[in-house]
Amino acid sequence: MVICSPVTLLANGHLFMNKWVASLVLFAAPVAGMTSGGSATSESVPAKLAEGRQVYEQSCASCHGWQGEGAANWQKPDEAGERPPPPHDETGHIWRHSDAMLFRMIAEGWRHPFNKTDRLTMPAFRDTLTDQEIQAVIEYLKTFWDEDQRRYQLEESQNATEPEGSS
Amino acid sequence: MKTMVNHPGILLSVFFLLMLAVAMPAAAQAQPADHSRQVKALATNASGALLVLRNGGLFALEGQAVTEVPLPPAASGAEPRSLARGADNRIYLAGPGLGVWRYDSASEHWQSLNDTLTEAGITAIAAHATQPNTLYAYHEKDGMFRSRDAGVEWVKVDSGPREPVQAFLHSDMPGSMESGWLFAGTTRGVARSMDCFCFWGDAGELRGAVSAIAYDPEAPENVYAVIEGQLHHSPDGGETWAGVDVAGVVTALTFSPTQGLVLGTGNGDLLARDASGQWASVHE
Repeated sequence: MVICSPVTLLANGHLFMNKWVASLVLFAAPVAGMTSGGSATSESVPAKLAEGRQVYEQSCASCHGWQGEGAANWQKPDEAGERPPPPHDETGHIWRHSDAMLFRMIAEGWRHPFNKTDRLTMPAFRDTLTDQEIQAVIEYLKTFWDEDQRRYQLEESQNATEPEGSS
Repeated sequence: MKTMVNHPGILLSVFFLLMLAVAMPAAAQAQPADHSRQVKALATNASGALLVLRNGGLFALEGQAVTEVPLPPAASGAEPRSLARGADNRIYLAGPGLGVWRYDSASEHWQSLNDTLTEAGITAIAAHATQPNTLYAYHEKDGMFRSRDAGVEWVKVDSGPREPVQAFLHSDMPGSMESGWLFAGTTRGVARSMDCFCFWGDAGELRGAVSAIAYDPEAPENVYAVIEGQLHHSPDGGETWAGVDVAGVVTALTFSPTQGLVLGTGNGDLLARDASGQWASVHE
């Protein structure tokens, strides 16, 4: 398993650094090393996030971009009449989906109903990724979003587990 | 000579007066004063009655019986514009200066749902097709708001399509990542998004200012939109559109469980297809 070092993360840019810090808050992981400006060791990196990054880079990045930037012109169907892979960063929309929905989409795949082909728009990964790996990559995706988006997505996840009208 | 010329004229005038006297009562019955005003919005209630929002007020039409439903109290200048029926059959009314109101059929009163909503800019309301407590409201400046608790709390969820929304609806058409779709009639055409508000895109290439929109709950891929009084139909969820011939300027749409697609027109007519497929007055 590849353990991401904070040095590598910092090399990806300021934006990623901000998201990285926020993601640490999500996991309630030790952050003193990073926020104090000291050089954090790989031991301070949450294992689940590191696993998620590894899964993302192996299974998702080739379509959705190494920084979650998605395909160019993803809003419009391509020449084959298929919707290109959308971004996973703050310019995209996956932050609008609950954890449960994201899990289902990654595991089962999904076909855009208006695509001109019959194949899945998003391939299914249930045969190649374990449940733990899918959960890990979902947590890693959250590092691409801003704070408001993470808050929105958290509420969506909470609402998804509650019957409608129970709030 | 003068007498000879005027005599046929007098006879003709008398004839027309007699004809008018005979025709007037029938005309008044078919087209009462309230029924001659432009239809602004349509919906059906739990009992299947047609709710007709006209410039002159809101009316419930059941068979031949017409009952006026008093509009909610509102500031002067309020403009009722949009009607929606929730998944639990409750009726919602919205418009600029009015915000969103729900009708309580038991007490026959309107309840304001504007505690967390700025009513001044609300131009349209839509109700979730299957979730009774989920509502959507469009604010002309702030975009899309959603309530998941039947209007107690509204939360801005999206800016909406690029162009202003004039009418919109929620549909349970299959294929959404979440629980359905939103179709919005904008000043440019029909925009479509899954109800996760993932992305507003063009629903086909129909262009123009959409004033009314509806879908067939029994066959949700069938969507209808009105542009400049002309009715258009899409059989495939908004991918392709074709014009539908209707005699008159269409101003409002709804689906009735008993009559199918019902049209409201600029001169106050209410039309539905008869057994032969022709548009006919719902009064007949």
